[in-house]
Amino acid sequence: MSLLWSQCISKLEGELPPQQFNTWIRPLQAVESESELKLLAPNRFVLDWVKQHFIGKIEEVLSAQKTDSSPSVVLEIGTKKPESAEESSPSPARKAQSAKKNQPNNLNVAFSFETFVEGKSNQLAKAASMQVAQNVGRAYNPLFIYGGVGLGKTHLMHAIGNEILKSIPSANIVYLHSERFVSDMVKALQHNAINTFKEYYRTVDALLIDDIQFFAGKERSQEEFFHTFNTLLENKHQVVLTCDRYPKEIKGLEERLKSRFGWGLPVAVEPPDLETRVAILMSKAVHSGVDLPDEVAFFIGKRIRSNIRELEGALRRVIANSHFTGKPITLEFAKEALRDLIALQDRLINVENIQKTVAEYYKIRGADLLSSKRTRSITRPRQIAMALAKELTNHSLPEIGAMFGGRDHTTVLHACRKVQELRESDNKLAEDYSNLLRTLSA
Amino acid sequence: MPQQLALPFAFNPELGFDQFHPGVNAEPVRHLRQTAAGMGERLIFLWGDSGAGKTHLLNACCREAAHRNRTISYLPLDLLIAWDAGALEGLEHQDLVCLDDVDRIAGDPAWEAALFILFNRLRELNRDLIVTATAPPARLSISLPDLKTRLGWGLTLRLHALADEDKLVALELHARSLGLDLPPQVGRFLLAHYPRDLPALRCLLGQLDHATLAAKRRLTIPFIKAFLGETT
Repeated sequence: MSLLWSQCISKLEGELPPQQFNTWIRPLQAVESESELKLLAPNRFVLDWVKQHFIGKIEEVLSAQKTDSSPSVVLEIGTKKPESAEESSPSPARKAQSAKKNQPNNLNVAFSFETFVEGKSNQLAKAASMQVAQNVGRAYNPLFIYGGVGLGKTHLMHAIGNEILKSIPSANIVYLHSERFVSDMVKALQHNAINTFKEYYRTVDALLIDDIQFFAGKERSQEEFFHTFNTLLENKHQVVLTCDRYPKEIKGLEERLKSRFGWGLPVAVEPPDLETRVAILMSKAVHSGVDLPDEVAFFIGKRIRSNIRELEGALRRVIANSHFTGKPITLEFAKEALRDLIALQDRLINVENIQKTVAEYYKIRGADLLSSKRTRSITRPRQIAMALAKELTNHSLPEIGAMFGGRDHTTVLHACRKVQELRESDNKLAEDYSNLLRTLSA
Repeated sequence: MPQQLALPFAFNPELGFDQFHPGVNAEPVRHLRQTAAGMGERLIFLWGDSGAGKTHLLNACCREAAHRNRTISYLPLDLLIAWDAGALEGLEHQDLVCLDDVDRIAGDPAWEAALFILFNRLRELNRDLIVTATAPPARLSISLPDLKTRLGWGLTLRLHALADEDKLVALELHARSLGLDLPPQVGRFLLAHYPRDLPALRCLLGQLDHATLAAKRRLTIPFIKAFLGETT
């Protein structure tokens, strides 16, 4: 850091309240020359604020520091990076997290097919992704992977890119988030470089764009992407897209794009079942160099059902607590470490809440679920609510029956079997069940 | 004799780790220190009731990181929400970003989207992020599910309220940073007779500091009674 600036900030630190100092002065980076001190602000917002409120103070402090003529202060938006203060001895946590060194194409090498934990909920998506990686531009084009948040779509996308590079190291692959595509395009337009932008994206061997639901409502970006997409497909270059929903369901997206997204193979990723959740936990634990007993993995897997990020967060909490206390990870230990998190889940998921959510979803009255009515429009939601109660709570079948208007436990058992059967044969019902499961455990 | 006027200068007590009494919160404090130093978890989500000390700790992280020549941005979202989400632009180039009161932007589409973008970029560039809120990620009313799940991806830590004995130590630390001598019996008196949340007690201590200076008196129980009798 510039010596002058470092003297200046220690003075300012003593004079300004810590919050003000940390918000406005700390983010500034200084580049000092003979005649000027250039202060780089991370964005326009900080720059304007400093200009308005602090520049006078900064100049005053600077002139007090310098006995001869003080340099003029120039404020600009920018950063001195890329050099960063690198730690001398990274902790195990940091090492595990930094293993994912990124390449220029933005691919994260840690996301490979080998590290992807396969289960019933994602095996089709994985198989299709492997096909695409082995037959670039010739298998499914575009490959459209969709599903809820935190279920592994991004992992698959990176795995495709990494796998292609294994067999064709010279392949030009670009992974990016849809928001980055939009902001790059806006920048290109501002700098009169739209042709370079077009050229860049239209000549890649594989374009992997994450979360394309963020294109919704951005017409100019959609237009540009439409042309990029067409050029790539015409030239048999691979396109892989992920989205939080099926193409036809994306609001604010042009029809022609929706229909094109469906040309290749749309493939869903569902929330993982218990066994897959446990396998994911085991794999993450191995990756972190931690010995995770089966019973602990099952305990966490049973409690955290909604998505993989939350599952990872819970495991991280247990590992961190074990490092801090120096105690081994046992079931009791994990229960204690996750006490807050579990209390939270238990509060959210109870039979009353399940009944309320199911009734709202099917637009029926909550009381109907408890009544003796036997019309199809009531019995089906009732059976689904019972199956959800069995899956999401620890109540016994007789208890669940009692909470559904005093029904027998065999009725609950029948409902659970029926729903299981229908989930395999009736797509609409399977989707309803997944939606409800997601809503309840989110 | 008329009371001497204390000069109304702004005194800014340091918000460092040394001025924070961890009590039952030794674990979160250690993780925060490590992350601030660039040697811990990449993402920490710290939650706890108002007044538990989240803001103090974030400011302490900024100090710690600065001592290690790391570049930092601290954003008190409670204040910044009045302006626009452009405040989050470009922060991915900082080594450490500290976002205070993230619950304040929950439900605001522009801020949520900006934070989502920042989150992804920080992750791409392997930068550190510390976020605070009054509730854990799953309980925040964030509308963007992509953002909500990402916030729970890292290490989520709870900052617990301190027991009375620890509050006493925390108050003594605060008094020391003000240059004020707080005898234990006076501290206990404050805890027993006034609101027991630390921010209120710290604020009261600030007023008492001012009053003892003006009156050139030591801080005693009779002085407190007289002072509060006067001000109420």
